[in-house]
Amino acid sequence: MKKGVRDNINAYSFILPFAFIYMVFLFLPFIYSIYLSFNQVTDFSDVFGGLSFVGLKNYLFLFRDKEFWWALVVTLYYALIIIPLNIVVSLLLAILLRKRYRLNSMYRTFFFLPFVLDAFVVGIVWTFIYAGRYGLLVNILKPLIGGIYETGFLGNAKTVMPSVALAMTLKGAGFGMILYIAALDGIPKEVYEAAELDGATGLKKLWYITLPLIQPVTTFMVIIGIIGALSAFAEFYAMTGGGPIVYKWGTPLGMTKVTGLYLFNHFSNLRLGLAAATSFVLLVLALGLSITYSKIQRKR
Amino acid sequence: MKKFLWYFSVTLLAIIFMFPFVWMLLTALKEPGTALVLSLPKKLTLYNFKKVLFEFGFSRFFLNSLIVALSSATVSTLFASLAAFAFAKKSFFMKEYLFWLFIASMMVPGLLYVIPQFLIVYKLGWINTYWGMIVPHLANVFGLFLITQFMRQVPDSLLESARIDGASEFKIWWRIMVPLAFPIVATVFLLNFQFHWSNFLWQLIVAQSEEMYTVPVGLAMFKSAHEEAYTLEMAASSVSIVPISLLFIFAQRYFIEGITQGAVKG
Repeated sequence: MKKGVRDNINAYSFILPFAFIYMVFLFLPFIYSIYLSFNQVTDFSDVFGGLSFVGLKNYLFLFRDKEFWWALVVTLYYALIIIPLNIVVSLLLAILLRKRYRLNSMYRTFFFLPFVLDAFVVGIVWTFIYAGRYGLLVNILKPLIGGIYETGFLGNAKTVMPSVALAMTLKGAGFGMILYIAALDGIPKEVYEAAELDGATGLKKLWYITLPLIQPVTTFMVIIGIIGALSAFAEFYAMTGGGPIVYKWGTPLGMTKVTGLYLFNHFSNLRLGLAAATSFVLLVLALGLSITYSKIQRKR
Repeated sequence: MKKFLWYFSVTLLAIIFMFPFVWMLLTALKEPGTALVLSLPKKLTLYNFKKVLFEFGFSRFFLNSLIVALSSATVSTLFASLAAFAFAKKSFFMKEYLFWLFIASMMVPGLLYVIPQFLIVYKLGWINTYWGMIVPHLANVFGLFLITQFMRQVPDSLLESARIDGASEFKIWWRIMVPLAFPIVATVFLLNFQFHWSNFLWQLIVAQSEEMYTVPVGLAMFKSAHEEAYTLEMAASSVSIVPISLLFIFAQRYFIEGITQGAVKG
């Protein structure tokens, strides 16, 4: 008994620093933001004490807020572009880099490097590339793009979302590439040899053998893609600020005002209860979509 | 022929991937006022770098970023590897339950924590201090997970013989576990450093006066203040990107190992 107590104290002393920070800065905030989402800040001089209980009001506000629904729509639109694009580019890079020619690892560095860089800074660099009039791309493509020459790719409601998605794919695809390389390396050679005996060729092998075998990585990519889209913030803050404005549903709305920016907007206007409610709705959406997607995958 | 096609396509892709950064550096090295001319710089100059570093305060922002990222990465790696030792090699009350509780928080998007963390930091009087920028992120759950998985593979007999020789538990951790788990500890350190170097939203909220800005925050403020200064902004962006790129190039192996491990097991 005495030894047991001593062992426990000993073990807990190793966990203590981590657990203390976890409890104060992760667990407590989680619980507190549940509480916050049912409250409204009434006294701005005391954001802790100046709360009044409002029940489901914050959640009902979201449910009725056109801007929130719009944020969900544009976030979905962003997800539908970037997730497939990112998967295709990552897989293409991984398949290319499986050929172990010389300089292979140098190329891998080039593709992976942008992933470790800051989304905000990368976003800033791209705003200059996409800019109108003086921007690089509009000058190269001048004869083809008409009015975009003046507005730039980020100032045009049709091109802005694909442009952000392309920039972020070029930044992030190295991550998926690493995962796909690991998955491809895990496929035994015999599988391909057997298929070749049955007369399978390049594309058929890719479609019927490679893709099903690396499905777990693809599922993982879709799930982190969903979470990434729902919390995308720095890239939009740097590149678009939510614009350009479009007139939809009878009001002016930001073509790229995604859920991350919508949430930040509540936060920076000190509507903390609403911001907390928004985070919870987004969390439930992210979890719900991820679980649904992986269930559908497993059934197949 | 096949080989030629391979080199052709990977080179083309590498140019596309690297282009924004090369262009950023080239613009940063141009003379002011020539940024909008679409040409290679006629004369390379460090003028822009000098100006952002010493006149616009980026040397200070750089120092802040370095302080925040280095201390956060060091301490959080330390905390994670201490806890990982207990989770990997000791049995204690509520062990499984605690581990599960820690890991579950990986599913929660970081944005959810921001508001309450801000309120706590505010209550502690840590707004606009290094404490406020560093302490809330010292419990790195992903790091704990990676190091625990790795330490589980260390054979128990090694620990037993050290105990027989009279080594304290702390000494066993420091002299046996940490050295043996070094590859993954290094990975966790690098991933943490990279995360804190580019943690934009949190530093934007906590750092409120200019002398506390980190590089990304300084860049955001710079953007709104000097809309047209292209060359300067590209120099400021380079200041942010170059150190992490160098770190990455030298320690690439650890980055890649960490990501592969995390995805395979997670």
